[in-house]
Amino acid sequence: MELYDIIFYLFAAITIGSAIVVVNSKNIVHAAFSLLLTFFGVSGIYVLLGADFIAVVQIMVYVGGILILLLFGVMLTNRITNVDIRSGSIQVIPAIIGLAIFTAILFWTMTSTNWKSEKFELPTTTAFQIGDILLSEYVLIFELLGILLLIALIGAASIARRDKE
Amino acid sequence: MKQYFKNTFDALYTVLVGMRITFKHLFVPSVTIQYPEVKPQMPERARNRLFVNMDDCIGCDQCSRACPVNCITIETVKATPDDSPGETSQGKKKALWVTKFDIDIAKCCFCSLCVYPCPTECINMTKVYEFSEFERDNLIYNFATLTMDEVTDKQKKFEEFTAQKEAEKLAAAKAKAEKAKQDAAKKDDKPESKPE
Amino acid sequence: MYDFLVNLVGNNIVAFFIAAALPLFLFILPYALLAVLAERKVSAHMQDRLGPMRTGYHGILQTVADILKLIQKEDLRASSTDKSLFNFAPYLVFMGSFAAFAVLPFSSFFIGSSIDVGLFYFLAISSLVVAGILMGGWSSNNKYSLLGAMRSVSQIISYEIPTAVVVLTMVMITGSLNLHTISDQQTAFFWNWNILGGTLPGIAKFLLIPLMLGAFIIIFISTLAEVNRTPFDIPEAESELVAGFFTEYSGMRFAMFFLAEYANMLAVSFLITILFFGGYHSPLGYLGNTLGVEWLVPIEQFFWFASKGLIFVLIQMWLRWTLPRLRVDQLMTVCWKYLIPYSIAILLLVGLVTLI
Repeated sequence: MELYDIIFYLFAAITIGSAIVVVNSKNIVHAAFSLLLTFFGVSGIYVLLGADFIAVVQIMVYVGGILILLLFGVMLTNRITNVDIRSGSIQVIPAIIGLAIFTAILFWTMTSTNWKSEKFELPTTTAFQIGDILLSEYVLIFELLGILLLIALIGAASIARRDKE
Repeated sequence: MKQYFKNTFDALYTVLVGMRITFKHLFVPSVTIQYPEVKPQMPERARNRLFVNMDDCIGCDQCSRACPVNCITIETVKATPDDSPGETSQGKKKALWVTKFDIDIAKCCFCSLCVYPCPTECINMTKVYEFSEFERDNLIYNFATLTMDEVTDKQKKFEEFTAQKEAEKLAAAKAKAEKAKQDAAKKDDKPESKPE
Repeated sequence: MYDFLVNLVGNNIVAFFIAAALPLFLFILPYALLAVLAERKVSAHMQDRLGPMRTGYHGILQTVADILKLIQKEDLRASSTDKSLFNFAPYLVFMGSFAAFAVLPFSSFFIGSSIDVGLFYFLAISSLVVAGILMGGWSSNNKYSLLGAMRSVSQIISYEIPTAVVVLTMVMITGSLNLHTISDQQTAFFWNWNILGGTLPGIAKFLLIPLMLGAFIIIFISTLAEVNRTPFDIPEAESELVAGFFTEYSGMRFAMFFLAEYANMLAVSFLITILFFGGYHSPLGYLGNTLGVEWLVPIEQFFWFASKGLIFVLIQMWLRWTLPRLRVDQLMTVCWKYLIPYSIAILLLVGLVTLI
């Protein structure tokens, strides 16, 4: 469908454009806020791919969590917003060579791979399957991740409480 | 642990108490007065705009002297006997034409000190509080009832009267002096000592 | 609704956009006008005042006049603000709060987008508001704005946890993330509402009632904090921070923050309605069904949904004019020491009850 394509390119443009700003911006806060648009664009692409759950997780975790933490870090750090970030171009020729080689390999892989292009019905709901798989097949990894996060939480709490003793 | 649950209970309970109070107040009639339509009731001894009842004013200047901010200006002309300013409502005879009685209400501090000394109770505080003006000059209130012509007329009359009086006085003095002379002459005629 | 629009427009995606944008124009903008007025009237009467009385009968046109004034205003911008971020922040906040309405089922016929992760989407898209607030606060280049934004964000992030845990509890009971499905499960009469134990059979239903009441109180408090309303309004504490993160804004940009705040209030009220009070379902059955008039049912549903949501908005206003503002440490104590432990306990207990 044509409109889907337009929307896809819109989201792709948002993602790439803001990603370029993230890399090139001299102002670290601008870079951080551009990251918001990047995450947003990526989640839009997820939606177009039928991965609604992942898309929402993308917004929730990255925009609602990580980006805010990042911004807090930037804003609470003394004078970091005035620091001149170096984002000039150095080593141009080696970079171009590296990029050309990488692009060539990527292109070769893309063209030579025998992509599976079978038509299949996109699952209308992904949340149920994801939950099912997480708690059956990948339950060990799921639990381990939980423990990891718990460790991080306890560590953060203990760091925050240290000078109170 | 007990304290913890007590805190929780207290928080919820006190919020409900507060909400009940505000809910009650939702139906309490409002105290707002819709001002230009509904005028607020002034208290009994409210001090607002000054008013002078010129019929009663005898031009004694006491209010002007009592005023701490000098907002009252009074000029008077003495009345001539043939052209009396009349009487006050209490039957006191007026002796002065009040040619100028200006109150600069912009200066007035509403202290009411001018009201107390007035012997005829002609200056008083009214309950009128809406007297804002666009021009500051409009805040100078002229209470004098006489027109400019009348004022000059009265002044002229007074001058004439004083002149006349002066002349009379002069004449009287003259007469007196003459009389004294005559008396002296008579005395001279008479023997100095009394017959005893 | 969607099918109807597809027939009308002839294109899936265009119909989708229209369906998603329709609540905004049909309901939320008039609501915001009304809510601002209601706030002023409610606050006035609670303080034994009258509130706006001049514009129209008892001041009902006051907000219209305010909007006209705000439109005419000059778009002021202090010289040392960060121009692009400053200009973009109101839109982001506006977008975040209004995008949430896309998944709310206004009636069985009128849903912007009945997606299967609706509840999750609702929580996630609200985080755009957080980013917008931080953006506006930082770019204003004003200590009050920055402090307000920081407070606001830390508050919203903290209170997202009890909200999310309670939402998780509800997802455990209903077994769905789709707001439409959650609403439809609580159909028929009010004893099927989740606050009264939902449609669980037998003893479990009665065991669930106190837990649901607790869950409802927790989510009400935490959503109240998330929309920055008094008693949790330290981000825009007038007495200390002027107006918090939108101190520097004027004219329509200010109005956008304002509209977003009221839209947020309504959105969380609707969320509570859907989770606990049967969504768009009537508590007493439908007149349309009794009379056999099919088309009346969606209208009735819309009426019930709107009135339930507006009741919660009114309660939020009522609370605002009742309680004083919490201090920052008290705010965090309420969240981390009271709401989160209680919500986790309720989550566990509900898990046990549903196993019965």
